[in-house]
Amino acid sequence: MLNVENLRAGYSSVPVLHDVSIEVGAGEFVSIVGPNGAGKTTLFKTLSGTVPAMSGSIRFDGHDLLAVPPHRRPHLGIAHVPEGRQVFPSLSVLENLEMGAYTEAGRRSWKENLKRIYSWLPVLAERAAQPAGTLSGGEQQMVAIGRGLASAPKLLMLDEPSMGLAPTVADFIFDRLMDIRRDAGLTILLVEQRVAEALQFADHGYVLETGRVVLAGDSRKLSADDRVRQAYLGM
Amino acid sequence: MTEPQILLEGFLQALAAGLLVGAIYGLMCVGLAMIFGIMRVINFAQGDFMMLGMYVAFFILVGLGVNNLFGATIGPYVAILLAAPVLLLFGYLIHRLLISRVTGARTAGLEGEGHYAQLILTLGIALVLQNGSQVLFGSQLVSIRTPLSSAAWEIGPFWGDFVSVFINKGRGLAALFSVLAILGLWLVITRSRLGRSLRAAADNPEASTYMGIDVDRAYRTAFAIGTCITALAGGLLATNYPFHPFVGLEFVIIMYAGVVLGGMGSILGAFWGGMTIGLVQQLSTLVLPTQLQNTAIFVCFLLIVILRPQGFFGRVVERT
Ligand SMILES: Nc1ncnc2c1ncn2[C@@H]1O[C@H](COP(=O)(O)OP(=O)(O)OP(=O)(O)O)[C@@H](O)[C@H]1O
Ligand SMILES: [Mg+2]
Repeated sequence: MLNVENLRAGYSSVPVLHDVSIEVGAGEFVSIVGPNGAGKTTLFKTLSGTVPAMSGSIRFDGHDLLAVPPHRRPHLGIAHVPEGRQVFPSLSVLENLEMGAYTEAGRRSWKENLKRIYSWLPVLAERAAQPAGTLSGGEQQMVAIGRGLASAPKLLMLDEPSMGLAPTVADFIFDRLMDIRRDAGLTILLVEQRVAEALQFADHGYVLETGRVVLAGDSRKLSADDRVRQAYLGM
Repeated sequence: MTEPQILLEGFLQALAAGLLVGAIYGLMCVGLAMIFGIMRVINFAQGDFMMLGMYVAFFILVGLGVNNLFGATIGPYVAILLAAPVLLLFGYLIHRLLISRVTGARTAGLEGEGHYAQLILTLGIALVLQNGSQVLFGSQLVSIRTPLSSAAWEIGPFWGDFVSVFINKGRGLAALFSVLAILGLWLVITRSRLGRSLRAAADNPEASTYMGIDVDRAYRTAFAIGTCITALAGGLLATNYPFHPFVGLEFVIIMYAGVVLGGMGSILGAFWGGMTIGLVQQLSTLVLPTQLQNTAIFVCFLLIVILRPQGFFGRVVERT
């Protein structure tokens, strides 16, 4: 479904990603882990087009993504739940979800979708009329995820959904993600600092360090890899 | 009439005048609120966009024969309505050709987010529009008068046979249209998909892109709407107020004051900001010489800004 090949990208001609290749098959759950500053967020932004690619290719669902302007990419079925949540603070929770449904697919399936989102994340229904900026961090993360789901995506990209959250809240969010994946059969690409969980739930994973993929493979094998155990799992 | 009756009549008359002119100021301010309050673009040419709206309405009225077609009473309002889409297009083009170079993605992260460049650019646009209009239209006063501007409704008498308020029909109608325009815009902004996407783009441009919004186009649309709304206010004002190519200078400050008073980023707030200025201006004539009208506005403005810096309708939620 998503095929990234030899991608180089960065900020004002300073490359942050060097030669990154990644593959995500339809229905798969893929995790990307790596230390701070490795370029995980930059990779997501390049996929969404807010960071320009310097070379390489990105294919998504039969499209050459680099030829598609950034604001058209969500309409192809990519939902980006960005790092730091980035909800629309002055819009109500419901309006945030409606913004998610800005895509054609999201509009078509809005009613059923909203019901499902509320069933996964009931707190959004309780807070529907509240400005999203007044919610707690965990609630805002749920808004951001709900907003992504409202676009009826084929691929859901999540950039550190557990960032800055208490462990119990982060656990709750991971549980919900598993429910969502099971119920909706979504393809998920996850960037996470909580490496143990990220690999536990994923089908396969990539380890990104200073803009390069240094390890890749089946997530069980990755969790068992000595380098991963030492560097990320503290074992 | 007794002394208290005279005082009361003077007060009520000033109050009515303040409400009527305040409604038009409110509409003007709402136009600027779209551009400055919501999209955070500093536009010094807003007053001149208003002036352009006045002239376009004027030329549609006399040049395109709208006056003959619809008569002297309805004609002006038709002309003002027809001028609105012209200014919408004008705003769209000005943004596309010039403003977009100093806003949005190009200036994100720059010091002051491009505000310095916006300041200089829009000052330049203002000068070109003022001097260009002077060359093209001359500097004599013109107006879009309707016979309604010299007729009045009498309300009252309230106190025996005395104390009546006279409402100029032209001003009354202009105020009514202003309020309707604001309600319409408010519905669009709060209820429609377009309005929601404009608010989202103002809140967080990057996340808006992830929703599939063309952020550049959203900003352009907001700019065009803001231009059109202020120009509409200009047209309505012109039914009672003769104008000239430099008329924008008199109003651009009122607009900024109104938007700040209302609390940046709030459409209804900007309306109340403009309304407040209209009321202060008219009520101050009761106790101050007319020359001090504008001073009164600014004393009041300073007081409110000191006492309530977030404005009447300041956002509870800060932007990212
Ligand atoms: N806007 C920017 N301009 C210039 N350099 C940037 C910008 N954003 C990030 N970088 C640099 O790019 C590199 C990768 O950053 P990125 O945010 O992609 O890392 P990350 O893997 O997401 O890290 P974290 O785990 O902390 O979120 C870092 O060295 C960072 O300093
Ligand atoms: Mg990151």
